[in-house]
Amino acid sequence: MGIVITVTSGKGGVGKSTTTANLAVGLANLGQRVVAIDFDIGLRNLDMILGLENRIVYDVVDVMEGRCNLTQALINDKKSKSLYFLPASQTKDKDILSKEKVKKLIDTLKESFDIVMIDSPAGIESGFEHSIFLADKAMIVSTPDVSSVRDADRVIGIIDAKSEKAKNGEEVEKYVIINRLKPEMVEAGNMLSIDDVLSILALPLIGVVPDDEDIITSTNIGTPIINKDKSLSAESYRRIARRILGEEVEFMDFTAKKGLLASLKGLFK
Amino acid sequence: MSFFAKLFGIKKSNSAKIAKNRLKVMLSHERVDCKLPYLDDLRNDIIQVIKKYTKVEDVRISTQNNKNVDLLEVEIILGK
Repeated sequence: MGIVITVTSGKGGVGKSTTTANLAVGLANLGQRVVAIDFDIGLRNLDMILGLENRIVYDVVDVMEGRCNLTQALINDKKSKSLYFLPASQTKDKDILSKEKVKKLIDTLKESFDIVMIDSPAGIESGFEHSIFLADKAMIVSTPDVSSVRDADRVIGIIDAKSEKAKNGEEVEKYVIINRLKPEMVEAGNMLSIDDVLSILALPLIGVVPDDEDIITSTNIGTPIINKDKSLSAESYRRIARRILGEEVEFMDFTAKKGLLASLKGLFK
Repeated sequence: MSFFAKLFGIKKSNSAKIAKNRLKVMLSHERVDCKLPYLDDLRNDIIQVIKKYTKVEDVRISTQNNKNVDLLEVEIILGK
């Protein structure tokens, strides 16, 4: 039986889909059979980040409504052969999902995959509720700014209330991913630090991803950055994937490296 | 901080610190409702029970969170 990992955040635009895509690829690269599902009904996006938008025939709602088989809707990734993708529906009716149908789908997927990764929509409405409903683990993505941390805190407070696991007396394992950290700004006292965010959210940290323009480039071409060598953000994702599988991996040190040139520049700032 | 900033005594920015403090204050208020989603229902039920026996004027419910204990204070104002 596989496990369900939901990537969520509360606030939109903090990098949920990018995180989902990279971790899904990362986990598949580590030999896991992974299925990534986009639960953002009406606002499909994970397909483009994974670069699979041209292969979509059926979507998650088609499967739930019985318009196609699960195997017809699942899209195999181009590179990672043990990664499959189930796209969100572009229907305007975002309340089309129902708990029973979601449960049936997820339970079926858990039989043939090690990891079911759900990309949750922003907000705390029904789409979010469905995506957290069957989660074993929740990855809460937050950028180090007040709006994102505040919304993350709110989401953390309601995860257990909406989860089936919590109803059975268990707890959803919750972890924080700090995204788009700018070490120079933290050092200058102008951005919440990792410790600041953690002291507020009071959850274990599973990864920190530095702000990286290359992520925009890789989204442009539809290839998650995680496969790129010599990239700090890619290495961060690779380490998070290993931590998800229970490995203890050292956290990277992002303190701004000051070479001679940077020090000289600093003089004239 | 750059060399010149130090030289001219320009203060290091502390906007992150301000952000942290604002968040802490804000969240200490918001967390209360979040933790007890049944608070409104509980309040209504208590009012129903008290009404059976007295002329209740107001029921004030407040919560306090310490490190180890969550406290629920119910203050029932009966009037005279």
